[in-house]
Amino acid sequence: MDPQNMQNMRSPLARAIGLGSAKEGVGVWWAERVSAVALVPLTLWFAASIIAHTGSDYATFIVWLRTPFAAILMSLLLIALFYHAALGLQVVIEDYVHSATRFAAVIAVRLGCCALAGAGVVAILRIALGG
Amino acid sequence: MIIRSSDQVPHTTLLKRFPIPRNFGVTRESRIGRGKIWPAPKAATRIRALEIYRYDPDSGENPRLDTFEVDLDDCGPMVLDALIWIKNKVDSTLTFRRSCREGICGSCAMNIDGTNWLACTRFISDLATPATIYPLANLRIIKDLVPDLTHLFAQYAAIEPWLKSKTAEPERERLQSPDERSKIDGYYECILCFCCTSGCPSHWWNGDRFFGPAVLLQAWRWLTDSRDEAKDERLDNLEDPFRLYRCHTILNCTRTCPKGLNPGKAIAEIKKTMIERRS
Amino acid sequence: MPSSMTTRPRPLSPNVQIYRPQLTSVLSILNRITGILLSACAVVLVVWLVAAAWGPQSYVPVQAAIASWIGRIFLFGATFAYFLHLCGGIRHLVWDTVHGFDLRWIYISGWAVVAASAVLTVAAWVASASMGG
Repeated sequence: MDPQNMQNMRSPLARAIGLGSAKEGVGVWWAERVSAVALVPLTLWFAASIIAHTGSDYATFIVWLRTPFAAILMSLLLIALFYHAALGLQVVIEDYVHSATRFAAVIAVRLGCCALAGAGVVAILRIALGG
Repeated sequence: MIIRSSDQVPHTTLLKRFPIPRNFGVTRESRIGRGKIWPAPKAATRIRALEIYRYDPDSGENPRLDTFEVDLDDCGPMVLDALIWIKNKVDSTLTFRRSCREGICGSCAMNIDGTNWLACTRFISDLATPATIYPLANLRIIKDLVPDLTHLFAQYAAIEPWLKSKTAEPERERLQSPDERSKIDGYYECILCFCCTSGCPSHWWNGDRFFGPAVLLQAWRWLTDSRDEAKDERLDNLEDPFRLYRCHTILNCTRTCPKGLNPGKAIAEIKKTMIERRS
Repeated sequence: MPSSMTTRPRPLSPNVQIYRPQLTSVLSILNRITGILLSACAVVLVVWLVAAAWGPQSYVPVQAAIASWIGRIFLFGATFAYFLHLCGGIRHLVWDTVHGFDLRWIYISGWAVVAASAVLTVAAWVASASMGG
């Protein structure tokens, strides 16, 4: 901020208007809320399942994850989780990073979340469909 | 523990400040140094110590924190009275804005004991010992407790805070039912003191582009006024990831409003209207 | 710009250095911090699932790391972070319907989030212990 306008002779109103309104933003806000609503039951189910399976061995765990219910819910959990995380982390980066690096950071976060969600779903499919 | 209204001064304090160094992340010209101590007159019995932020643009020095001992028997009950007492009796260079002395003009907004409030409506008896008085947070300081509000008022101008009409002017009044008029209650009373905006962490980090609670509350005041005919343009102008959506419902604004208004709620109403218009 | 004409920039008044931490701002930053921590936990979740998918040889060391005492400390922290973010998130969703903005309700719901998270964390770990973990 340079309110004394030493480097920048724009009027205060011009600086407040900036580049104008982007005329979009409600879509991201809504998506974050929808994914949040999805995550409430999905994460509670996940937490309950983990608690219920405390101390189970590998075989029991795999048998459980093979059931269609668990496989589908776990996949949905990963998708909703990484979608919500990507949106949330993008907002965090935009809040604190103001240089041009923010674009690289946001791209990295979005692609990273896609990759992780993809990897997770592939792993679940491998368990559910594999031998 | 449960705050019922914003004028409640908390009596239990877990943390007075976040546990970070006093000059954390501060640029060179903003670093605050130790200042002078101004003791109370010898005859004074009831004394309160106030640590006040000082900055003299003509001295070439950095800001400092001066400690003033105020004689409570010689000044009125409010923090503004203490400041005026100091200016009259101790150090006439102490500079601050003031006007109505009754909490309606918004001039004496400052940070008192860590939260933003009006000096004329804060009792000295509610202060901590020692009390700390800083200017409104995150603003360029012209002198002592006087911040530069130019950018905040420019953001206010940017939302075009006037009645916009497209239909022809009526012969007499623009009609509005009592129910419609009640929709602007809680919003028209804003005195533009900017306590809320100055206390919003999101405005601290993104104040150049985020409009802040005061301006957004006024934006809602115009959106919800039934006589205004430009809701579409107003909403278009607000729908921006920075102008509106840097609000993360932190709610420091509602906590600190010296008029008891609710900017957080106004912003939530704007966001709800945004989703309603596309669904 | 000639140096004789240089105006000293005006100082910025302190913000986070002096502003009082309040329930409003503290719970909000905790929601953000727990969100970031949970994103890291999501990465661990994927690592765990991939390890499980590629047979017991890859699963055993990952499971052992999680079950170790340092892993359990992280897991306890992650559980608390999860419940804080969950309860805080529900509080945010209620605000999005424009309810609960009265200062009294902001404070009541805020303390409720803290209390509920603590209770749920303890309940989860007690339940887990009773399952024989």
